[in-house]
Amino acid sequence: MTDIIIPNLGNEISEAEITEWLVATGDDVEQGDVVLLISTTKTSLEIEAPTSGKISQINSNEGDLVQVGEVVCTIE
Amino acid sequence: MPKNIDIDPNKIFAKDFLKSKELPIHQYQKSIDDELKIHGKENLKEVLRHMYIVREFENMLNSFKTTGSYKNINYTYNGPAHLSIGQEAAAVGAAFALKPEDKIFGSHRSHGEMIAKGLSAIKNLRRDKINSIMQYYNGGKLISYVHKNLNDKEFNDAEMFLLSGVLAEIFMRELGFNKGMGGSMHAFFTPFGTFPNNAIVGGSSGIAMGAALHAHLNQEESICIANLGDGSTGCGLVWESMNFSSMGQYKNLWPEPYNKNPPMLFCFMNNFYAMGGQTLGETMSWDRLSRIATGVNSEQMHAETINGSDPLSVADAIIRKRKLLIEGNGPVLLDIECYRYSGHSTTDTNAYRSRDEIKHWKFFDPIQQYSKKMIEAGIINKNELNNMIEKVQNQIEYLTSKVVDRELTPSIDFEKNPTIIGDFTFNKKVISVSTLTSDLLQNEGEVNQMKSLQKKSRFGKSEEGSLLSGMRAITLRDSLAEAIIYHLSRDKSLIAYGEECRDWGGAFGVYRGFSDIIPINRLFNSPISEAAIVSTAIGYAISGGRAIIELMYSDFIGRAGDEIFNQLAKWQAMSAGELNLPIVLRASIGSKYGAQHSQDWTSLLTHIPGLSIVYPATPYDAKGLMASSLCSNDPTIFFESQRLYDKVEIFTENGVPKNYYTVPFGKAVKRRSGKDITILTIGASLYAALDASIELLNHDIDAEIIDARSLVPFDYGMLLNSVKLTGRLLIVSEAVERGSFANTIATNVSKFAFKNLKASPMIIGAPNWIAPGADMEKTYSPQSEDILDLIFRDFFPEKRINKRGLRKDWDFIDLAKKGL
Repeated sequence: MTDIIIPNLGNEISEAEITEWLVATGDDVEQGDVVLLISTTKTSLEIEAPTSGKISQINSNEGDLVQVGEVVCTIE
Repeated sequence: MPKNIDIDPNKIFAKDFLKSKELPIHQYQKSIDDELKIHGKENLKEVLRHMYIVREFENMLNSFKTTGSYKNINYTYNGPAHLSIGQEAAAVGAAFALKPEDKIFGSHRSHGEMIAKGLSAIKNLRRDKINSIMQYYNGGKLISYVHKNLNDKEFNDAEMFLLSGVLAEIFMRELGFNKGMGGSMHAFFTPFGTFPNNAIVGGSSGIAMGAALHAHLNQEESICIANLGDGSTGCGLVWESMNFSSMGQYKNLWPEPYNKNPPMLFCFMNNFYAMGGQTLGETMSWDRLSRIATGVNSEQMHAETINGSDPLSVADAIIRKRKLLIEGNGPVLLDIECYRYSGHSTTDTNAYRSRDEIKHWKFFDPIQQYSKKMIEAGIINKNELNNMIEKVQNQIEYLTSKVVDRELTPSIDFEKNPTIIGDFTFNKKVISVSTLTSDLLQNEGEVNQMKSLQKKSRFGKSEEGSLLSGMRAITLRDSLAEAIIYHLSRDKSLIAYGEECRDWGGAFGVYRGFSDIIPINRLFNSPISEAAIVSTAIGYAISGGRAIIELMYSDFIGRAGDEIFNQLAKWQAMSAGELNLPIVLRASIGSKYGAQHSQDWTSLLTHIPGLSIVYPATPYDAKGLMASSLCSNDPTIFFESQRLYDKVEIFTENGVPKNYYTVPFGKAVKRRSGKDITILTIGASLYAALDASIELLNHDIDAEIIDARSLVPFDYGMLLNSVKLTGRLLIVSEAVERGSFANTIATNVSKFAFKNLKASPMIIGAPNWIAPGADMEKTYSPQSEDILDLIFRDFFPEKRINKRGLRKDWDFIDLAKKGL
């Protein structure tokens, strides 16, 4: 089981907005696939799957504010 | 980092050889008959006359400098005289081939180039155009002077206008082209296509490049020439400018009709000496100057080495290269080999070169050679030649006799107007913008990043009073973006560039989304060439454009030191207000990145007269001051703090207005009212002072906080009124304390409000050493604890409580003794 967490995005940045989910629970993903888009006050970012597997859980919705370090998705 | 240009490893790692072409060296072969067919007899004679004018003009200066007289005219000339005697063919040959609208930018040794270009413009411009130039310039004062005092009908009045404008400038007189504020090394007159001559070696390379960019973006049919010395090939800016002139993006990424290279010609007047250092064989690596072009691009800058002792060989090269430049296939490098018989300056004893060498080169004297050629070809006979020489000598003598006369041709009267240089320093002109430009890729409202701003609260606190995060409320970063995109979308003359400005949106994200709105020819990534970034902006602005440039970290100001200190800050005054430099230079003060990325260098720049300097600390001020900066026709240094980009607006009740507004330069703002002590903050230190003021209340000390916002200009009014009430002043800045601008304000308040002060004004800044790494940064920039310690120690010792900060027991006299 692997968690996708919101990475550290630089000094002074502590949170991000989920702009778009590109996967849904139950989808199969390959390592390196882009699974979600986030934006911070400073930049926009594509988050990739760190491993291949099935999306088992998504913890936040588009438009939600999430903290750096927060688990937003789990791959099994 | 455009996504449409892939770096393909297969191509990168493929075996190959880098190929370079042969570069022509002295390949000019035209006969005098060929040249006659091209130019006609009269023009070829004019070349000779122009060379004689340049030579006699400089002989006159040389004579004044070395003997104090010229043909029975006595005059002590105290300024510099970097003469180009021996180089006349290079100056006149090039000018002969240029159009009046072509722009030359020169060096400290450019009298000849400037006179030659002026004479060429007079020869080629229509008489009515010349008349209107002379009548318009300086309210017609110079042409009236010529018609009154230099009215011998034997001489062309436009030539006398040109020569008296140059000579009066060299002799620092009010009728000089720049009212004597530029002098020998800087004289220029833009209507004839001569632009600032630069006393900093290589300084013209980037400025000319910026002018070429302006010509390119305005689709002008003209070229820009940097006349540089061979010694300048050792200068970083020259290399930066050569790269800037041939960046891949022009042809690869810019849209039609801009997908061509700017019309930029690097013209090296190669006289083999950089003052006393011999470039060929001693101080430079090249065997032929033109070789450096092979390092710039695959076209090798179409470089050629040209015989600079033959004006027709120079003109031939310029005519061919001009065509290529107008077609958008530049840049071009010309290595024009020539020799100066005169010393570097008139005090030069020629210790670095042999008499034999000088003698040898005199066989190649351009004027002698060309005269001989003209006589042999029957274009001029000896009598005619002698008459020409005599007339030129009379012309210069007549001119000089009037210009040296201080009654007739006075300098600016400083007795009457002692602060007049101040009037030249800032023009105080502002523009306004309203309608959208026609070149936008999309409207602001269609771009996601800009749309997201619409959802945010304009005020940084919730209805319950809690602080909102930067994801929910407009931040300082957002407010800068709003002001900048407003201007970029409405001012087609405005361009924005710097490192990472386009797709990345600037290193700190201020331009996020802008690349979907502003076309690449007005918003582009620059190379990591801080000197060229500033220098090209100057050339762009003096040609009629406006620029907002970004240096990423303000620590990189050092990389553009000369361009900021000697060029950006000085050209308005050095041109006596003829030039406007509407440039906003964004410099971001870093945080957490250690010694070379975390310095507040505001004081370094306030020390240099000629720059407006602002440093907003709140989103409201950031937007309003940025709007004012972009409206201003004066150069502005806009400081930002990386610690503040995510700050939301907490001071202005209605938050950051959605609509456009300006905050005027030079007006401080009160952040908190109090009666016991005034704290003036500069930039980011506002927030530490606010924290301190809250703690002070627990000790019955009510602090008034004033945020400077703008350092130059600075209006003392609010501060003095506050100090009158409180009697105490502390200034907080993050600049190192030694030489800090805070000291200047403290000293002035001591003078202006001495009788109101209960104690000496104090300042607190960073200690006089490096900014340490992130985890130790709090030991460096003043923290609220440090502010409290200082206030209790120096202003309220009776209330002194437990010391909190690190500086509590510092002995400043002892630190100074140690150099700290």
